[in-house]
Amino acid sequence: MAGSTLAGINVLEYGEMVAGPYCSKLLADLGADVIKVEPPGGDPARAFGPFPNNKPHREKSALFLYNNTSKRGITLDLKTITGKDLFARLLKWTDILIDNYPIDHLTKLGFNNAAICELNPKIIYATITPYGRTGPRADVKGDELTLSHASGVANLMPVRSPDIRRAPVKPGGFQVAYQSAINAAVVIMAAIIGRGKTGTGRVIDISMYEAIMGLLRPGIAGSRYQRSSWSRVPDRPPAMGRMKTSDGYLVLGAAEDNHFRNLREMMGNPPWMAGDKWLNMAYRTHHLMDIAPQMDAWMEKQKKKETTEALASKGVPLGPINSIKDIMENRQYAFRNYFKELEHPVAGKQKYAGWPYQMTASPPKFSRPAPLLGEHNEEAVCKELGYSSEEYGRLKKSGAFGKVRR
Amino acid sequence: MNENRLPLEGILVGDFSWVWAGPFATMLLAMLGAEVIKIEGHKRTDLMRHSVVWPLAEPSPANVPPNQGMGFNSVNMNKKSLTLDISKPEGAAVAKQLAAKCDIVIDNMRSGVMDKLGLGYPSLQELRHDIIVLSSGSRGKEGPEKDFPGYATIHNAVGGVAYISGYADDAPTTTVGDTDLMNATTTAFILLAAIYHRMQTGEGQFIDYSQCEAVTSLVGETALAYQMTGNVPERMGNAHPYFAPHNVYRCWGVDHWLALEVHNDAEFAALTHVIGKPELAQDRRYKTMRARKRNERSLNGIIEEWTRQRDRDWMVNEFCRAAIAAAPSRDWQDIYADPHLRAREAFIKVQHPELGPLELVGVPWKMSDYTPPPNRPPMLGEHNDYVLRQIIGLSEDQVKELRAKEIIS
Repeated sequence: MAGSTLAGINVLEYGEMVAGPYCSKLLADLGADVIKVEPPGGDPARAFGPFPNNKPHREKSALFLYNNTSKRGITLDLKTITGKDLFARLLKWTDILIDNYPIDHLTKLGFNNAAICELNPKIIYATITPYGRTGPRADVKGDELTLSHASGVANLMPVRSPDIRRAPVKPGGFQVAYQSAINAAVVIMAAIIGRGKTGTGRVIDISMYEAIMGLLRPGIAGSRYQRSSWSRVPDRPPAMGRMKTSDGYLVLGAAEDNHFRNLREMMGNPPWMAGDKWLNMAYRTHHLMDIAPQMDAWMEKQKKKETTEALASKGVPLGPINSIKDIMENRQYAFRNYFKELEHPVAGKQKYAGWPYQMTASPPKFSRPAPLLGEHNEEAVCKELGYSSEEYGRLKKSGAFGKVRR
Repeated sequence: MNENRLPLEGILVGDFSWVWAGPFATMLLAMLGAEVIKIEGHKRTDLMRHSVVWPLAEPSPANVPPNQGMGFNSVNMNKKSLTLDISKPEGAAVAKQLAAKCDIVIDNMRSGVMDKLGLGYPSLQELRHDIIVLSSGSRGKEGPEKDFPGYATIHNAVGGVAYISGYADDAPTTTVGDTDLMNATTTAFILLAAIYHRMQTGEGQFIDYSQCEAVTSLVGETALAYQMTGNVPERMGNAHPYFAPHNVYRCWGVDHWLALEVHNDAEFAALTHVIGKPELAQDRRYKTMRARKRNERSLNGIIEEWTRQRDRDWMVNEFCRAAIAAAPSRDWQDIYADPHLRAREAFIKVQHPELGPLELVGVPWKMSDYTPPPNRPPMLGEHNDYVLRQIIGLSEDQVKELRAKEIIS
């Protein structure tokens, strides 16, 4: 019978900010039982925001709320003996450990690879670190900005900006961390599937740098072996790329001849686009920029949503550069019920971004909102580790969970 | 313990996808041990076989022979190639026979194409009740915009990443093709989740995948931010909401740039020593993170005054040695030169029958008891006989007949 996709998998997350938490969120929203371990002060994402009215509140950070759905959360002070002991017991409880702290962080607390695998020989232990755990830059710090530039993804942005006097620019948000998280989730799933056959655990080392660089592999190979000379302006004919409209921007991909014919028709077949030569991709590749100013002028009088709908219904690839507001109002997202309402006890009811996969047998869902700081300390220790409430009280007094302010 | 037993051994994948968003998904599965059969028409081959990445190189890539496109070779490693004209009924029938053997069938054709060919989920489920079928579309299989076509940059725009990418005072910008491979990675993940579910329950399923939505899932925090603050999150270039300095600086030379991130006061103090201005750490304009953020412009000017006269890679080493996050803004040729990637064996050496030795970007993970399978990308139709005879079980005569009718090449 239909159930959760990943029911029965236990996950221990020792993660902060985006990469580790999003990786375990991917599993949690598919039904894995995820316990998130935070230091007593909380995941730094709780302090990141954005917050309602710009007032910091550890239970109202958009970044934290999004990346921690469907998880239970506990705090552990891993500098205390009792905190370490509980962590060791959770390592025995779990199938998977996800860790995106700096490479020597858990080692310094007494949990190196060998210790973790000795506690649980079947564990799948995935680390996500800026440059991976080996190699000459293993210790180098890195985050979104440096990694998106190091990996080559930022170097060609902004597209259609021939001004090389201006610095290249990173993709917005946390794209490096998100991609690293998805990458880790792929390997974790493969390891879980393989473990069913061999019974042995795995240690997985994800380098964020390589995760994002790996997305550019066609261009990297092309630049070396076919001298495909990307410049700072890669977004250009025959497809045109980003164009300005009266109410924002869109991306036009009218690359093929029939696309261009439909576009020309919609533009009213202006005389400067006349002739069969414009219906030849090879010609457009080298001459389209001659009429780009006229095309730009036409496009600047159009609206991004209306133009997209009119041209895309004729099979022309294009799309508006949507703000999140545009997306939340988009009919296709509404039709697919992409945004899901979820109520958090402190932050209230919001619509959360869902998942790109609709599954007939075991659809993803939010089993709960992001945990409050330390919300499941007692539940996890008593239900999963078998302690009594009295023992829990003693552990609490010992400082195992830190001084949780209530 | 089995040394280097690949985790997905025994899983058979029928891959009807093309370009990047599907093919890289199945390559990830192949590199983890699955057997992947890539199905193409011998006349209508994967576009990328002839292609390099935009902008188009000279001479025209249309002249690139089908086994030599790097846009193909880089995302189809360790697969087997079957050429099959599925537009003909005999071809579609063979495709069905193959699909019946597969654990996973994937396509990224326009919505409804597989159904018309008789290869949609309902037909395949009749052949194999626990089959997992994934259809990866631009906007998804159903709905008012189901037929809207798209490419990576369009998905990047529709899904919301482009809007927040770029300088605050300039136009938004898409990324440059990586959205397809991100979608491929997400696709590989959900396929494996479905495989796990099938192992537990015996149940297959259909997965309807929207590439635009996958982009939106990577700006999910902005949806909450918008609802909670009433403000649409905007572009901020290379800047950070709290940290400074956090920018990309001009270096000596033409179009050479250095990215620097400072996360706390101690790192800033270290930076002031590297650039020979330790007094800045005591300057009230730059002493605290909040002050630095307020005076970011002048601080960026001071730093760039130093960086613009110096070699990029030398500076990266100096900053990294001082425990500051620093990196060059690399172009793609630079990637091959990075000693860190060399030390981690990030490239896989491949002996290509037509091109000779190649170094292609390898798997983006390291795993215990795992060595990546060394297999190269397949030549067009290289495995026709193997797939038809050994996997489907056709006779030699049947294969001959298919060849005579030009169903296979």
